[in-house]
Amino acid sequence: MNTYIQFAVIKFRNKMAYRFDYLLGILNTLLSFVVYWSIYKALYDGASAVDGVTFSMVTTNFIISLGLSSAFSKNEMFLQDKIKQGTIANELLKPVNFKLRMLFEDIGEGAFSVVFNFLPTVVIAAFFAELSAPSSAVNIFLCLISVVLGYIVLWQISFIVQSWSFWLFSVWGLVTIKNVIINILAGAYIPMWFMPDWLKNAIRFTPFDSIYFTPVQLYLGELQGWEILINFARQILWIVILYGIGELCWRKGIKRLVVQGG
Amino acid sequence: MKDIISLFFAYAKSGLKSRFQYKLDAIVVIFAVFLREAGGIIAMYLALLKFDTINNWNIDELLFLFSLIFITYGIFIVFFMALRDFSDWIKHGDFDRVMVRPRGLLTQLVLCGADWLAAFGHGTLGIILFIVSANKVGIQWDFGMAVYYVVIVISGVLIQGAVFLIFSAVSFYVVETNSLKEIFYWNMRKFAIYPLSIYHKFIQSILIFVVPFAFVNYFPAQFFLRKADMAAYPDWVMYISPIVGIVLYIIAYSFWKFSLRYYKSTGN
Repeated sequence: MNTYIQFAVIKFRNKMAYRFDYLLGILNTLLSFVVYWSIYKALYDGASAVDGVTFSMVTTNFIISLGLSSAFSKNEMFLQDKIKQGTIANELLKPVNFKLRMLFEDIGEGAFSVVFNFLPTVVIAAFFAELSAPSSAVNIFLCLISVVLGYIVLWQISFIVQSWSFWLFSVWGLVTIKNVIINILAGAYIPMWFMPDWLKNAIRFTPFDSIYFTPVQLYLGELQGWEILINFARQILWIVILYGIGELCWRKGIKRLVVQGG
Repeated sequence: MKDIISLFFAYAKSGLKSRFQYKLDAIVVIFAVFLREAGGIIAMYLALLKFDTINNWNIDELLFLFSLIFITYGIFIVFFMALRDFSDWIKHGDFDRVMVRPRGLLTQLVLCGADWLAAFGHGTLGIILFIVSANKVGIQWDFGMAVYYVVIVISGVLIQGAVFLIFSAVSFYVVETNSLKEIFYWNMRKFAIYPLSIYHKFIQSILIFVVPFAFVNYFPAQFFLRKADMAAYPDWVMYISPIVGIVLYIIAYSFWKFSLRYYKSTGN
């Protein structure tokens, strides 16, 4: 386990080397937020609440879901490039679990993004946007746990789609389509509260609302008692299910893998 | 001229052939681009089921506004892809190849590179949005209106072309311009899609004076729609998109011509 944590730490440190990219990343995240903040400011048009949802709840939803979605964006052509270039053969020979290593490297990168991209964005946004304060210290803690679980759900979905590069010429198109679906259904482009009922009910049967919306609800203190446990259970259940699917794709893919030359 | 047109078609033919080498993949990529760009629109559609209008714009009027951004980008990318990726051309030394051929430099760049898959993705989206909305937003379509629509589409292409021509000229001084494009084009475009009037004055000024996206979609769309939020701007800005396009392009072209002298090959 120590080895894998080292992978995460190294990736975290690597990311610190590219200063300008890093500032640009904050600007990208911030501007995406400003677009949606402006849209909902115009939609609310001075109203204090719509359907019991206040404007500050909406901005908080966007800073968490859109902010994390932007911060967590990563190179999803990683596996495909390894397979195309044949370097995956060397990776598989190493005495580490390739998939676990990939996960930990991405967690390292994700942790970097949360600390150095997401948090600065929130601080800057707090100067002009109406953000809700967390309902309590415990809620921040619960929210952080669910962000980590949500990230693993997000990662697994990405891994499943990436693993199709064993069969397909290119997965760029499918990765892009997947990201649009996640951004809409997970509430990064439109708050879950304002979706039509049929869509909201359908989303309850998918992993999407456990990515960003569960953290948002925990932060705002919208969940009480049992509901908190149920939402954590849903996140864990989806991690297990998606892990199973990912593992299946990965094993079938590896069997099929033919590397030409070396 | 005839020579240039036949050159364009020759390039287009080979470009399309190579892009459609893997047919299924090409179709998936086109659909992905289409959906990626439609993502924000779908979210807006869902939001307006709840809120009805944004700054008095209903969904059909918004779709009409959106259509201009996507149609112009779809055409833009057929002619200006080489300029969009120009820093790569310089980095890889491809520009040297262009210099030794017997045609104008910019002519070659404009004719040769087309991102067909992006063009189909953006173009189809723009056309669909236009078809869905054009008859529902109360425009009395006649010959004059149709001609003006074509004129503003061309202006929109010129404005975006000019912006990238300036980036390309900057590549002669500093090879790496991706961050510049990220800040001044892609991020501004995120804003430009929606009605200008929803933004803070500062953002509005950037979209009018710095990267004039306002003249690509918002002001020309106001010519057709005459929404109440136009009261915040002088009336004549609805008519000057073609002038903005031509003037900006001339400025960009002069800057490019001037900067060309400073070109140093990265190759050896």
